[in-house]
Amino acid sequence: MDSKTALLKKYKRRQRLVTVLPFVALAVLFAVLCLTVQAKGYRLPMYLKILLNEGVVLAIVATGATFIYTLGSFDISLGASTLFSATVGVMVYNATGNFGLMLLAIFGVAIGCSLLSSVLASVFHIPVFVTTVAMMSVLSAVAAQIITANGGALGGISIPAEVVRPFDVMWFKILVLTVFFAVCMFLFDYTKLGRRQKFLGGNPVCAKLTGIDLNKYAILAFIMAGIGVGIGAFLTLVYTPSVTTGTAGSIGMNILVAIVFGGMPISGGPRSKIYAAVVGGFSYIILNNILKILIDSNAGYGISQIVSAVFFLAVVYVTGMNYRSQLLPR
Amino acid sequence: MNKSISAAKKLTGALAIPVIFAAVLLILCAANGKSMIANRTGFNYFVLYTAIVMLTTMALSINLNSGRFDFSLGSMAVLASVLSSRISYAMLQGGPGSAAAMLLLGILIGALLGLASGALYVTLRIPPIIASLGVTLIFEGLTFTLTGGKYVMTEVRNASISAFAGNWIWSLLVIAAALFIVIWLFDHTKFGYDYNALKNGQKVAVNTGVREVPNALVCYAICGALMGAVGFLQVARSNSINGGSLNFASISIMFTAFLPMFIGGYIGRYVNEKAGYLLAALCMSMLNSTFAAFSNEVSASAQSIINAVLLVLFLIWLSNERRLKQILRPIRS
Repeated sequence: MDSKTALLKKYKRRQRLVTVLPFVALAVLFAVLCLTVQAKGYRLPMYLKILLNEGVVLAIVATGATFIYTLGSFDISLGASTLFSATVGVMVYNATGNFGLMLLAIFGVAIGCSLLSSVLASVFHIPVFVTTVAMMSVLSAVAAQIITANGGALGGISIPAEVVRPFDVMWFKILVLTVFFAVCMFLFDYTKLGRRQKFLGGNPVCAKLTGIDLNKYAILAFIMAGIGVGIGAFLTLVYTPSVTTGTAGSIGMNILVAIVFGGMPISGGPRSKIYAAVVGGFSYIILNNILKILIDSNAGYGISQIVSAVFFLAVVYVTGMNYRSQLLPR
Repeated sequence: MNKSISAAKKLTGALAIPVIFAAVLLILCAANGKSMIANRTGFNYFVLYTAIVMLTTMALSINLNSGRFDFSLGSMAVLASVLSSRISYAMLQGGPGSAAAMLLLGILIGALLGLASGALYVTLRIPPIIASLGVTLIFEGLTFTLTGGKYVMTEVRNASISAFAGNWIWSLLVIAAALFIVIWLFDHTKFGYDYNALKNGQKVAVNTGVREVPNALVCYAICGALMGAVGFLQVARSNSINGGSLNFASISIMFTAFLPMFIGGYIGRYVNEKAGYLLAALCMSMLNSTFAAFSNEVSASAQSIINAVLLVLFLIWLSNERRLKQILRPIRS
């Protein structure tokens, strides 16, 4: 009996550590960044602005994507979708000169692309992952075609900077992140949408037997991800009012890294956490910036990627230590 | 009699997709006054590309069929090719035998990289998809550090590698050797039986005494060896190695193998699945050669779109085959 109690205590202690660790990692990384910037004699406010600009887009797109990952699903096309939405937004603005229409186009395209993935997957019973791989190829290719035809792959296409300048302020970006996060948190933690998605992710067979419609919740998850992509595409344009073929290129995979870095299992289910994307996204961006400052050379990009990968694996290992099984995980 | 009918059905089932592919593409080329394979050089690259696609598809399917998604295949191929080209150049300075040395070293280094990737997965016991993300970043970082982010050219531009690319027999030998070894390993050895048992019922297999960890490690090593060979074949095809891929840029190599994997899986209903991958790779190579013939009319972006649409259409058909057959039954009768 005593040994069982001791085991339970040990489990709970570890569980607390696992919950707290991503936050501790974020705080430590932030402190290290501040110290590094000061030690190098760089301007801290400038770095904070860079962090915010990079981190907000990743955090917002990843927060929307959390709904998909909670279902145990996977979407690799979100980076391409962000690029495509921004491209269409620029084209619409340049054709009409109407800011409202540009916004409408960005969100319409982002949600439309997301819906197309989910409809293809649920109506035609195609594995979601493969659908998103195909979507990634199509969206990147179409965006590249539009950009190359209208402005060149490197120079890209752009809108006048004055159009988005009023939004290129810290408070606006923080506000957008806060509002989107609050809405997502409410839906995820306090409504049946989030509860049922966790149930579906944890045990789809059991969830289906209790009458939960997987297709309906998959489509809702993809809509949430689409909204995140739309906001991400708009903020990308706010930060840099031009779009090239490389815009948002790494977001698709960084979402995965951010979610896992924030302490959420990639298999989704009841252990999914809505805050994981924000915590993990900012941690990953801060880590990369610290390494860029410390290893200041061309070859340093490679070394900083290796260090950041090792750090990533270490965090994943520690956060998953309570869930080891005899069998190898799949 | 029944046996011969069954064999005929098998043959028809196995060859249906490649024949349809060939017919459609040849008609398309003929209608536009082009030829899919214009000359011997075209044929050399046709066989070389078939080898690349077949080996990548095999490497992808080995772990994916066991529920282990591996993003690191592309980065493994690139790193193996960088290391093998450096070592073979140091040994032979691009002289005779460079291609053979680089291929063998690539396979060996690839196997070691695969083993390292597998060791990380079985040691940390984290989901394979996550482990592969970390491994991809590490391998890309190592490649970038070794090359300074530049293209590797001096080490891979020599007569030996050009001779390899310039004679389709060598590519065919690679295909035959890889096919023979993979079929033997997965269908005729204890390792293969254990692999199939684990693939179809992990828990039951482990409970009956199958050792999962060594089996997974060997799988990763085989995938690495195959990707090491792919790295070399890519070098023979493009005459350079891009050392500047960072932030998951290398995973695109893997995406070329999705469509052939599903086509190969379908053909695998009628013949050995690995032979199915070869036939699927042939289809992809025909498509690639047709794209090359239409390079002035069909841009790289359009090619990506066509490939993606084909993937989706094939999967729609594959996932709804029974329903489609039910719908088509009244029309047939």
